[in-house]
Amino acid sequence: MVAAVKTTGVDGPLFKRALLGSLNWLASNHEEVNRLNVFPVPDGDTGTNMLLTLQSAVEDVKQSNAAEVSKIAKLASHGSLMGARGNSGVILSQIFRGFARAVEGKSSLTPAELAAAFEEAANAAYRAVNKPTEGTILTVAREAGRAAATAASSPDANVPRVIAAAAAGARAAVQKTPSQLQILRDAGVVDAGGFGLQLILEGMLKSVEETEPSLAAMMDTNRSISPASQVSMALPEGGWGYCTEFLIEGANLDLDVIRGEIEAMGNSVLVVGEPELVKVHVHTDDPTSVINLAGRYGKLMKLNVGDMSTQHRRILETEGAGTGTRPPRPNGVGVVAVVAGRGLVEIFRGLGVDAIIEGGQTMNPSTQDMLTAIESVPYDEVILLPNNGNVIAAAKQVIGVTKKKVHVVDTRSVPQGVSAVVAFRPEKPASENLSAMKAEAERVQTIEVTHAVRDTRSNGLRVKKGDVIGLINDRLEFAGDDYAEVVNKALGKLGPGSYELVTVYRGEQASDDELAKLESEIRSSYPSLEVEVQQGGQQHYPFILSVE
Amino acid sequence: MTRSFAVVTDSTADLPDEWRDRYDIEVVPLKVIFGKETFRDRVDMTDEEFFRRLAVSNTLPTTSAPSPGEFAEVYRRLSKDHEGCISIHIGAKLSATAESARIGAASVEGFEVNVIDSQTVSMPIAFLCRIAAESGTLQQAVAAVEQRVPKCRVLALLDSLRYLEMGGRLSRAGAMIGTMLDLKPLLLVAEEAQIKPVDRVRTRSRAISRMIEFFRSEQPVEYVGVMHAEAKEEAERIAADLQKEFPDQQQIPLGQIGSVLGTHAGPKALGIVYIKK
Repeated sequence: MVAAVKTTGVDGPLFKRALLGSLNWLASNHEEVNRLNVFPVPDGDTGTNMLLTLQSAVEDVKQSNAAEVSKIAKLASHGSLMGARGNSGVILSQIFRGFARAVEGKSSLTPAELAAAFEEAANAAYRAVNKPTEGTILTVAREAGRAAATAASSPDANVPRVIAAAAAGARAAVQKTPSQLQILRDAGVVDAGGFGLQLILEGMLKSVEETEPSLAAMMDTNRSISPASQVSMALPEGGWGYCTEFLIEGANLDLDVIRGEIEAMGNSVLVVGEPELVKVHVHTDDPTSVINLAGRYGKLMKLNVGDMSTQHRRILETEGAGTGTRPPRPNGVGVVAVVAGRGLVEIFRGLGVDAIIEGGQTMNPSTQDMLTAIESVPYDEVILLPNNGNVIAAAKQVIGVTKKKVHVVDTRSVPQGVSAVVAFRPEKPASENLSAMKAEAERVQTIEVTHAVRDTRSNGLRVKKGDVIGLINDRLEFAGDDYAEVVNKALGKLGPGSYELVTVYRGEQASDDELAKLESEIRSSYPSLEVEVQQGGQQHYPFILSVE
Repeated sequence: MTRSFAVVTDSTADLPDEWRDRYDIEVVPLKVIFGKETFRDRVDMTDEEFFRRLAVSNTLPTTSAPSPGEFAEVYRRLSKDHEGCISIHIGAKLSATAESARIGAASVEGFEVNVIDSQTVSMPIAFLCRIAAESGTLQQAVAAVEQRVPKCRVLALLDSLRYLEMGGRLSRAGAMIGTMLDLKPLLLVAEEAQIKPVDRVRTRSRAISRMIEFFRSEQPVEYVGVMHAEAKEEAERIAADLQKEFPDQQQIPLGQIGSVLGTHAGPKALGIVYIKK
């Protein structure tokens, strides 16, 4: 093992370097993590979610020259918390949080302290999860910590050896995950989140072992080749272009300085206005960083982030804010929802939702995205509807980072979200609304129809990539080659006798003929059910149905 | 019947025929206008015919108040064998009928007419008429009715937003009613004819149980009725359920939603009407 780093302890600069190294390594390999996803549905990919979370963790770190490891760890903890996406991203943020707590007040870490911090990071992640499952990123974090502790207790322990042991411990634990989790065994893969954590530790190891010139260059805070843009280039083509627009309200704003900074983060830059109010427009791969940067100059208004490619994620401003078109809300409670698809956005808006974070299925919004939307509504108490199982954890993180009182109703699907919003009563206090919304969300049954994105075996079904698959309440139940057939089977399984209304949310991919066929088959097979069709416009899911 | 005073109302009271006969109540019809055709409400056109036409009509029918002259004619006729009358009408915020009655009454000399703005619509007015008819004197009738005016409620479950929207009777934003989903709104016509959204539900059976739930929270009440627009079976079931739950209530009458309320509520609407104690 080459110990090229002279320091015997982990100080600020070394930890910063380790983080940049892990970001670089995860960025080069995150697609491999994505391929490990067990579920055949188009969903937020673990690798992408972890990468975006880590990118956010490193965002502020790369601007910092702090000498103390505690300061760098704190920046990473905060950054990952705000950028957390998906369940694995949220757990990663908790790992950073535990690490930061463990090193609080320390300027440098001995090998033993580093190992202890790894162990505490794993403990913190366990504590953050309601029902910890073995065979996941949690197990991997714990095994990495244990291996680090063993290495640290040896007489010739040093920092690279402790990190190497942690990475090796992680790797061994990842290999064991299929023996711990049936779903991994069925699909013949290792746990994606655990593998992501292994890559992060390996990236740290590389950065402390090697002194590549490229790595040194990366550490300069040269904006044009910031790690973020390197990461973006490693991401799939055709995506990641966000049209980002907002106003900055402040005092003595220097347009040239702001323009210079924004220009380093994207193209098509437009920065115009006056010292008190500046309008910014930029096409960027990293709207979060642009927003964070601009937020340092003043108050941001009219924030709008629109995706220019296939995936839409916009933080839509509330139409009622300031315009007075909405009547006052007697209970002072706002509602914010995560929704994807033009029609669905309209439906949620029409039901009185104050702000919408566009996203959900494949692009999970970060804690920061949700926070921004929550801050934009004119209420101090806000109910947040994630509308996707993989967004719930990141949504819950918002609770700790805003002064507003935020409640998350655990809506796992569009139909659950709609039912929850329908139950919202503006004249009733939040507590009453929360229980009513929760009860209504649980009452509705969700059928989702999509195409398998990978071959797999799940819930006893063998599916091939491209097959039509039907999920009832997130559980894969049917596969076939026809939407109507799969939906009919799903309705049969639910038992149509106990329901009266089926609402069909038609996705972008579904043709008129497919819709007509689906409708007529439901009507002829289940004549007692009322069928209502709505244009959802969602991607990836040709049909989402609510049954109630 | 040898009551010294007369009881007058208008066709929006949705007064059951049986009460009309039993209590000898005078009903002045409003006019329902479908395009170029004008009908006297419940005289030239039955409620059934009205809903048949409404379902196939692209535009909403309009209603117009009886003229002052028509009221004057009725009062003049009644003045022959009554000392005075109580004339109870649809809320003045909803229709010009009460105002028309007032003007008509002013032109009939020597006959005391007490025009009551019921601040409500539909069958609660019928209850007020019954209360008046059961009073011993005109004075007592006026007092009994006026005391109950602010307590009249119509809890309406609409099957569709279409009619309410076409009629422009309610701010959709105020009701938190989305433009997209076909929601079943539950609305309350409270005192001063205020229309308040109570709830919004996706399915009819849930909406009915919510309606009953809300009614439960309104206790104590007197004079309960169940109304419907072409949904008699459901109304009968609701009435039977309420009768079971509130055995102290007198026989809960069933009423047909007439054209005025029906124009805005639309077919298949259901309602529980009551007067709060």
